[in-house]
Amino acid sequence: MVHAISRRELAGLVGLGLAGLARGAGTTSRPPQSRGRVGLAPLPPGAGAARPDPVAAERAVSAALAACTGLASGRAAVEAMFAAEDTVGIKLNCLGGRGLSPHPELVGAFAALLRQRGIPSHRIIAFDRSSRELTRAGFNVRRDGGDWLCYGIDNDYDREPSTSGEIGSCFARLVSTTCTALVSFGIVKDHDLAGVSGGLKNLYGLIHNPNKYHDNNCDPYVADVLNHPYVRGKLRLTVLDGVTAQCHGGPAYRPDAVWPLGLIAASTDPLAADAWAWKVIDAERRRRGLPSLEEAKRPPRFLSTAERYGLGVGTPGAITEVRG
Amino acid sequence: MSPTLTRRELAAAACAGAAVALLPRSADAASPQVGDRIAAEDLPAREASWYRKLPESRVECQLCPRGCQVADAERGGCGVRENRGGTYYTLVHGVACTVHIDPIEKKPFFHVLPGAQALSYATAGCNVECKFCQNWEISQFRPEQAEARYLPPETLAQIARNNGVPLLSATYSEPVVFWEYVRDTAAAGRKVGLRSTVVSNGYIQEKPLKEVLPLLVAMKVDLKAFSERFYKDVVRGELKPVLKALEVIKASGTWFEIVVLLIPGLNDSEEEVRALTRWVKTNLGSEVPLHLTRFHPTYRLTNLPPTPLETMERAWQIAKAEGLAFAYMGNVPGHPGENTTCPGCGKKLIRRIGFEVLENTMAGAKCPQCKRSIPGVWS
Ligand SMILES: [Zn+2]
Repeated sequence: MVHAISRRELAGLVGLGLAGLARGAGTTSRPPQSRGRVGLAPLPPGAGAARPDPVAAERAVSAALAACTGLASGRAAVEAMFAAEDTVGIKLNCLGGRGLSPHPELVGAFAALLRQRGIPSHRIIAFDRSSRELTRAGFNVRRDGGDWLCYGIDNDYDREPSTSGEIGSCFARLVSTTCTALVSFGIVKDHDLAGVSGGLKNLYGLIHNPNKYHDNNCDPYVADVLNHPYVRGKLRLTVLDGVTAQCHGGPAYRPDAVWPLGLIAASTDPLAADAWAWKVIDAERRRRGLPSLEEAKRPPRFLSTAERYGLGVGTPGAITEVRG
Repeated sequence: MSPTLTRRELAAAACAGAAVALLPRSADAASPQVGDRIAAEDLPAREASWYRKLPESRVECQLCPRGCQVADAERGGCGVRENRGGTYYTLVHGVACTVHIDPIEKKPFFHVLPGAQALSYATAGCNVECKFCQNWEISQFRPEQAEARYLPPETLAQIARNNGVPLLSATYSEPVVFWEYVRDTAAAGRKVGLRSTVVSNGYIQEKPLKEVLPLLVAMKVDLKAFSERFYKDVVRGELKPVLKALEVIKASGTWFEIVVLLIPGLNDSEEEVRALTRWVKTNLGSEVPLHLTRFHPTYRLTNLPPTPLETMERAWQIAKAEGLAFAYMGNVPGHPGENTTCPGCGKKLIRRIGFEVLENTMAGAKCPQCKRSIPGVWS
């Protein structure tokens, strides 16, 4: 709400934001990053519209986390990545509605691991741009109570824009101020302009003006969002719900373009997760006789830009897949 | 963009709710939606007027030169138009986030009914992203992010008429992105004797521009610089289509004025100002008013100083030396460059300070002394 805030209130908010940041910095533990490594675990889709079995979901998330870190269990991986003092923001991508959004069961399984780490429920916040999108995707929106919180940014952005490379944006206060750690919890799908919408394009939901940054296959803008200190400094993990994936016609859900990929992917390297998504999307496109993303003139160029920024390994041929 | 509107003024003007107080109580009581605050999830969607359908539920916007090709469930670069299953919708028709009555000099128009008030309105959104935008708090946001009220065209016209305001003005953010609202408001205003103006960046395709121009009494265009490089790096737009739009407006006969915001080190060189004024004179004629306005640091250009007065003076002298009959200075209150002087005999015709008209000695559309006609909309 741009106009509901007076200048004085604004000054107050900015002050609060800075204080929050300073507090956050004290609790941030550096995540171990296994560059180029993507952990994979199977989780076949249920028959028809069946939701994934919660036990199987928990097993798959744990296995993917263990595989991506090389640690013995999902629990150990979460312990290495997060501190008990962290406030963890889990950015979901619910644009695709019930048909193609992260499954609440998987988010719940991940949140359970965070709780086991000692992070209390009220400091585990799954979010997306709006509460309405979350509801549509089957999430139970709540600002208190439950095993983890779940709500939309709903226009709660910083009052002043902040610059990173080519972007100038107001970040969600959840990201700039509230959370000390971030997780990009996306899906595996084709995107009409970005090429791939996995963990990185999902980060567009952190800024107030993503519509400004769709030129040139979203390059360098996606990389610039990732490279912003709020994001680069806090993003610990990418999880991709690839139970069902979409190889064409994104970002909207398109029933004729989805296929049962049956995999959960996790990586502490945000580029590697997307590079893997690119690979599997192209493989499915090939199988269907569709041109590759490169041929379709929408390769996810932002990956090589982010790689140039030193943020990870974004070349599909250079990543290591580890099955859990 | 309205470079003369300060942040504080914007905040004062920003509450469209204030306009609701101006509404007659009875007429719209039966229509509860009019004047209501619009919840983010209740933006009214109306099919856009300028786009074409593409295969696979995609659309191509034909409103502004960006020509966004938009996939299903996505929005155009302006953030106010959305593809829903292959049909393109505007989400801002009647969705006013700013409504205010202010002097026409503020747009600035110096040759349109001096001293007249205009009911000025805007929605969220813009098709470019000027790093110096004074109104970024509405222009760079999506409609669900800016508090707005439902004020359909007829209601705006009614508010203006009930308050004795002769002009409607689409301004503040970027009217191109709410062009259907502009068109319908101008038409609704015309029915009750109101005239409409638009304050725009001129970054618009020819067809929608031509369709709406006949409904307007005047258009102000921000010519943001005279280099493609500036347009690319600082505006995220293009110069060429803006120059084309200016030629289209000129050919239409609709009155227009040009504003150039001079930013230190970015577009204020002698060569650039000279090239710009020469182009204006050659292609649009020497009688078009050119407002050279002073930059104040804002939005993403807070690292730059305000434009030095010497730079402003130099640019003003260049414009006059190049033969423009009506070169003005803006954002320099009290400067003689705010006045209208007769190019024929040098008589001071309209004296101004800021947005205020102190004295108007015009005899209709002519200089009272030498009888030279002064172009504009004077009655
Ligand atoms: Zn005269």
